[in-house]
Amino acid sequence: MKTLRHDYNSETPQVMHIDLNSCFATVEQQARVRLRGRPVAIVNRRTEHTMIVTASYEAKAMGVTLGMKLKDAKKICPGLVGIESDPAKYRYVYHKMLDIMNDYSAHVRMKSIDEGVIDFHESPRAIRERGLESIGREIKQRLRNEIGCAMRCNVGIATNRFLAKTAASLHKPDGLDVITAANLRAIYASLELTDLTGIAQRNESRLQAVGILTPLQFLDAEAQVLRSMVFKSVNGDQWHQRLRGWEVDNVDFEMKTAGRQFVLDGYNLPYEQIIKRLHHLCEATGKKIRSQGKVARGVQVWATTHREPGTRKESVRGGWEGQHGSRYWHARHMSTMPFYSDQAIYSQAKQLFVNAPPLIRTIGVTVYELSDDDDPQMSLFGDELAREKSIVSAIDEINDRYGKHVIHSADTIGVGDTVREKIPFGSTRYL
Amino acid sequence: MNDELFLDERVEVLAKYGSGLNPCVPIKFRRASGREVIVAEIGLRHPTVQGRRTVHVFDVTDGAADYRLEFDSERLTWRLTREGDRT
Repeated sequence: MKTLRHDYNSETPQVMHIDLNSCFATVEQQARVRLRGRPVAIVNRRTEHTMIVTASYEAKAMGVTLGMKLKDAKKICPGLVGIESDPAKYRYVYHKMLDIMNDYSAHVRMKSIDEGVIDFHESPRAIRERGLESIGREIKQRLRNEIGCAMRCNVGIATNRFLAKTAASLHKPDGLDVITAANLRAIYASLELTDLTGIAQRNESRLQAVGILTPLQFLDAEAQVLRSMVFKSVNGDQWHQRLRGWEVDNVDFEMKTAGRQFVLDGYNLPYEQIIKRLHHLCEATGKKIRSQGKVARGVQVWATTHREPGTRKESVRGGWEGQHGSRYWHARHMSTMPFYSDQAIYSQAKQLFVNAPPLIRTIGVTVYELSDDDDPQMSLFGDELAREKSIVSAIDEINDRYGKHVIHSADTIGVGDTVREKIPFGSTRYL
Repeated sequence: MNDELFLDERVEVLAKYGSGLNPCVPIKFRRASGREVIVAEIGLRHPTVQGRRTVHVFDVTDGAADYRLEFDSERLTWRLTREGDRT
């Protein structure tokens, strides 16, 4: 890292964070007019036993939180309307939001399906001279005009990405806040440590262990303390800079893994049924890496199990992995040759899955050691690889033209209706 | 869950085509039963792709219920695929 700056960044804020409020619930309320003003919860399955992915502000006001089971949420919010997620709708809104943001700068990064950052440092002078607050208000209005009148977003403006995101979370819903060197301390004074992006329970405990109990104390901590006592790495220096408004997060991460997971649709499904679902996940994973022009060398399969009968449910820190009686199992295999076809992924995954435990609840497949699919080196199996590549490309082309899974393994017939596409959280690569 | 009905009903639609942000605006549609539904508001219009075929989805309301109309841009047909959100 470059020399540490100990002062606060006092430049004119040039970074804007835009966050759609309760995105999926808001989009549903936009689309379905009669849901506006009513408590709405978005879930991934049409069942009462599923977890809530997003709740509308009306539902949140009644105490509904993310991760709560729909049936439990209905007990505290009797009028709650459960809606199955509709990824195509959210993808459309994502692209509209991206189009709007691209009108103001060439440096736009979407952080996930519902939030993005505009860096105005290299924007035309005419745009910067208008002032970011005015542009923020204009973007809010454009969202309402170009998507719909129920759309609301939070806008945060600051000198770096971290503070811009912090600003965007100050007044939900529909806020617009600016953090500068002048109000930095006052803003931190109004927050808890866990209000800061990147500080969850584990980091909070680390900070508390050295007597840092508030964001202001965190800000005032010396870089040396953060580096050698709290984070025990260069992360300490980065936090020291980040908190002062200096940019350290303007980095793009390379794609390192790809995969899919699925919560099984029945208790104690027969092994052959689970394998069919695993096969479908392998096909989806293969499509993902090929769409990014990647090949993989490693496959990992994993599963979590139901609690064994008779064991007590006891949630501990660490979530489901830490639940007594529930197990997390995984197996992995690394190949000497890179691969990309669904068949290659599935044949390895199937072999690994032979050792999976009984009573499976969730399954997943991940491919890793990804690299670009541009290796010019001829292998001993050149002809065979070329033939496989032609077949895979032909299948992908047909599926692109006529619809997903038009051509797929006979083994997965009918599974596509069960293992449906869900909201792609995190990476925006596949949107 | 919400009490929505999943349908696949061919409907006749009267729509207005123009320019601007919403170049296609359904005004009313007639269901297979002959009942006419007047569109009071379009909530959202979004495209979905089925292979290279684009189907435009219109979420609309008549004030009493929400409906989903789908316009197949290749076959030029309209279908009513959902009805729900009655209070």
